[in-house]
This record gives sequence, C-alpha cells and structure tokens, in this order.
Amino acid sequence: MEWANDKSKGGVLAHLERLETQMSRSCKNLEDPPRETAESDLGTKIRKLRCLRDKLRAEVKQRQARIKASTANAEPDQTLEISEQEAVGGKEENMKAILQAYRFTGLSGKRTSRGVCVCISTAFEGNLLDSYFVDLVIQKPLRIHHHSVPVFIPLEEISAKYLQTNIQHFLFCLCEYLNAYAGRKYQADQLQRDFAAFLAGPLQRNSLCNLLSFTYKVEPQSRSFPFCARLLYKDLTTTLPTDVTITYQGTDASSTSWEEQRASHENLFFTKPLHQVFTSFARNGERLDMSLVS
Amino acid sequence: MDETVAEFIKRTILKIPMTEMMTILKAWDFLPENQLQTVNFRQRKESLVQDLVLLCENKRASLRDAALLDIIYTQFHRHQKVWDVFQMSKEPGEDVDLFDMEQFKSSFEKILRRALKNVTVSFRDSEENAVWIRIAWGTQYRKPNQYKPVFVVYYSQTPYVFTSFCHLKSNTPLLSQALTVASNHHKIVKMDLRSRYLDSLKAIVFKQYNQKFETHNSTMPLQENLELDMHMDSRIIHENRIEKERVQRVTQETFGDYPQPRLEFAQYKLETKFKSDFHGGILAERKEPLRCLIKFSSPHLLEALKSLAPAGIADAPLSPLLTCIPNKGMNYFKIRDK
Repeated sequence: MEWANDKSKGGVLAHLERLETQMSRSCKNLEDPPRETAESDLGTKIRKLRCLRDKLRAEVKQRQARIKASTANAEPDQTLEISEQEAVGGKEENMKAILQAYRFTGLSGKRTSRGVCVCISTAFEGNLLDSYFVDLVIQKPLRIHHHSVPVFIPLEEISAKYLQTNIQHFLFCLCEYLNAYAGRKYQADQLQRDFAAFLAGPLQRNSLCNLLSFTYKVEPQSRSFPFCARLLYKDLTTTLPTDVTITYQGTDASSTSWEEQRASHENLFFTKPLHQVFTSFARNGERLDMSLVS
Repeated sequence: MDETVAEFIKRTILKIPMTEMMTILKAWDFLPENQLQTVNFRQRKESLVQDLVLLCENKRASLRDAALLDIIYTQFHRHQKVWDVFQMSKEPGEDVDLFDMEQFKSSFEKILRRALKNVTVSFRDSEENAVWIRIAWGTQYRKPNQYKPVFVVYYSQTPYVFTSFCHLKSNTPLLSQALTVASNHHKIVKMDLRSRYLDSLKAIVFKQYNQKFETHNSTMPLQENLELDMHMDSRIIHENRIEKERVQRVTQETFGDYPQPRLEFAQYKLETKFKSDFHGGILAERKEPLRCLIKFSSPHLLEALKSLAPAGIADAPLSPLLTCIPNKGMNYFKIRDK
C-alpha cells in the first residue's frame, strides 16, 4: 500500500491488526439483531450491484450485436472501410520499408526516448559494408550516450570540434572517416583473400589500414617475388594512398624493364584501389599466357 | 637443446589440460602434424609430456619456440593472470599515426635490450591487429627468469595497453618507456582498473560493452515488466507495483539491457572526516580524516550491483560511486574531502 510508509500507520501488518481490533470493537458495541440487519443490508446491496452489473453487461452485448448487424447490412460501406484500412496498412508497410531502406543512403537515424540513434552505413564501390551507430542524448550539452565506432577512429577529436556547434558537420566528418576506413579495410581484405597467390607471406597491416606492406609478384607462374610495396595513407579520409614506395629486390637489377615496371606499379597503386591493381596484374598474366600458347 | 629450455618446455606442457593439448600444440605449430600423430595421447600425462619433450629436443626447440608456447598457453588461460591497464597519450595536433607493426616490435625490443642485456622478448600477432608480448626479466648478472614473465597486449593505434601483474615493480618504468616510444606516444599513465578478465577490460576501455542500438530494421524486444505478474490472478494485488516499476526503470537506465563486463572487485579508499548527526560522539570531534578501505568482491561484480535494487537490498538509484565503474573505467577509488 502506498501509504504504508506513512509513519502514523506503521505498515501493513499494523494496519491489519488495527482492522481486527476495530471489528472486534464494533462487534461488542452492536447487539445481535442490528448485526444481522447490517449483514443482510450488505448482502442485498451486493445482490443489487450484481444485478446492475449483469444488466449493463447485457446491454453492452446488445449494442455490439446491433453494430455488427448494421455493418453487415451496409456491405458496400464495409468494403470501403476495409479497403481504406488496407490502404492505410499498406501505407504503413511502405513507410516502414522506406525507413528501413534509408540506411542505404549511408546516414539514417531513429528517434529514441532520450534523443536519436544515428546509423552510419559504410560502402565502397557499390558494396555495402559495416554499419556504425552513435546514440545521441539531446540535452544541453549534446552528448554521446554510447556508440559502436572503433576505438582507433578519432571520435573524441571530431566530437570536440563539431558536436556542440555544428552537428551536421560532425556527422559528415564522422561519415568520411568511417567510409574511408571501411574502404581501405575492404581493399586490404580483398587483397588477402583473392590474391594471396601473388603475395609472399601475409599482408602487413594495422588497425586503421593506413599502412600496408607486402612483397609481391606480377606473373602468377613466377617463383620469385621481386617487388616490395609500402603504401601509406596519411589522409584518413581517403581510400587511395598518399605515399607509395615500390622497391625491386630481384636479381638482375641492371635491366631497365624492371625499373619501368616498378615505376608503372607505383603509378597504378596511386590511382587504383589495391584489388583492382592486382586484378589487372592477373589479367596481364593471362594475356601473357595466351601469347605463349598462340 | 639447452637443459633449461627442455625443463621450461616440459613444465609448460604439463600445465596444459589434456582437453586442450591438441589445440594448443596445433596453434604452436612447432611439431608438425605427422609427428603429433605418432604420439599416443591416451597415455598418462607424465609419459605424454616426456614423449613430446623428446620430439621437441629432436627438432632442436629454442628458447624462442618455448616462449611462443608460453604465450599461446597464456592466451588460452588469460584468466589466470591479473591484468592492469595503462593509458598512453600523444601531444595534440600530431601527425596521423602510421603504425608499422614490425617497426614497433624492433623498436620495443631495442629499447629493452639497450637498458638490460638479460631479457627475453617474444612477440605473437593476434586478431584485430594486436600483438601479445612476453618479457622475461633478468638482471645485470642474472639470466632472465622464464617462470615469472610479464605479458603485454597492445591493439595497434589505440592508446591502451594491458599488462599482466608483475612482481618486479622496478622494471615497470623501463617497460612504460619502451611502450610509449615504440608506439609513438608521449606519456603513459596507469589506470585505476584491474581485473582477471582481459576481454572485459578491453570492452570497458574501448567502450564496447553496450552494443544495443535502436534501428528501424530490428524490432525492440518488449520490455519484460511486472505486467506479466499481474495477469496471474486478479485477486492478487501487487502493493508495491509502482515502486517496483520505478526501480526496474531506474536500474534499466543505469545498467542497460546488455551483459555487464566482468570485474571481480571494486575498492574504495576513504580519507574523509567523520560526518555524524550526533554531536559529542567519540569520532565527531576528530580533526584528522578517517582512513578506511572498503572492498566489494564478487564473481561478477557489475551484475551483482545491477541486481541489488530489484532484490530490495539497496535503494534505487544506486550511489554513483558504484554505477560509474564501467563509464569511468575505474575500479579503484580514492575518496577525499573536497
């Protein structure tokens, strides 16, 4: 009981005791006949209330039946109602689907009880990649409740700069960083997965995928791995490297064709995503094979 | 093979439970598959270990190989160590961190060796671009003690380092220096956070413990509230329904719906003056602050704290000193008068 905390009452048990003493006291004061009449009065009252309840229930049932009957008679109206209902239901489904599809724009959100939960869906070359969430509490000052942004993305820096003053810019900046990270990660994963045959040993990488180091060859059938690549991505908002160093570590260092290849590779890595560079190596390799056959 | 190395390998393999033996040996990848198949894994453990050590001797296992086995064993049994957390920081406005794992490893080892000739340093790359480092410390005149190594876990391009508890505190400054310089940071500070559960520590400092987000794509599961109890029997009335619902709501707001990260204790060191309503008590007039230490222990402290208010043992909301633990990344507190 809510008023059990009231000090003058002293809790549920005390209350029950009080009721008991009250009852025994009132029993002593009254004589038998008045007691009986009090009881029978209450009894009749209960019976009357029960009658009233049953009457009201019957009335409710009647009215419901009447409504059903009337709607059954007016069939054209009913079908109109149903089709309207269907239309509204259909619109609702449509809206839900649109809201769900919004994540394909890359930036979407949902209202929460304390603010909004923003969803950043990353993509690279038309492939939908991971989604990251930032749950914002709408208060002064605006703050982040919790998020799924990886710890090596500079979220604190970006929010310190923009969260309070320009939330659009904050979201845009975060989108840039996350999309670029997702793109770099995608390229590194693709290289490791699809072109492992071209690499000598594992691809050296780090959390941000902004330093990649590997030894590779361009001819699939060749036994040696003559090239060493070191790609640096100093701009965390881009998916192409800012620094490319290719070194040739083969045996005939004097040959100029190696130098030409090395230089052209450097150019390739600067301008094309990693896995596309290796796709073209593979294709050139095939062309070479074809020329050997014919 | 050196006798000490043989003994070390023997003792390490002896620690491995039989159920994990094959898995760990395969992860070690030192004894090839065909050799492992010649060994009888159903014999008594002592004999099995003897056979395995013999194989290692034939393959001329080095200290390096033995240290790697020790790292793998510890990775499988990380709860056997108590882990501390250090936080590193950089100067503001520094260039983008171009972390090179190989450079980090060589720089780290170089710094340790420059200061201490007798030290064994081993590395093992692990998932999520992290590295496990094992360091066996020696002294000027003594060889490294392989049985009391320190383990360090570092996730690249993050400011946090996890280290296993080290008895030799004297080497901590050197270790800190090596970590900071090798990872291109400027400062390192020990956090007031300690636990056996490395993954929980990671979840706390990387802020990964709450991964429930509302989206249009997922339907939020209906919150189980006391409504279920209500439909039991209409003659039963829950007298404290409103209060119970309030407690549930406050608990849910504070602790969330997600599984709590696992900690074993929270420690509060108080240095405060005694505050009392009764004047003239013995402690009331003391000018000096009282010093006392309060420690909460539990197999799963945060889940225990979460269940306090719903169980009726404590009032909701709980003291912020208890609820701030994962948010602040602390389970050691020093409380002084302001």
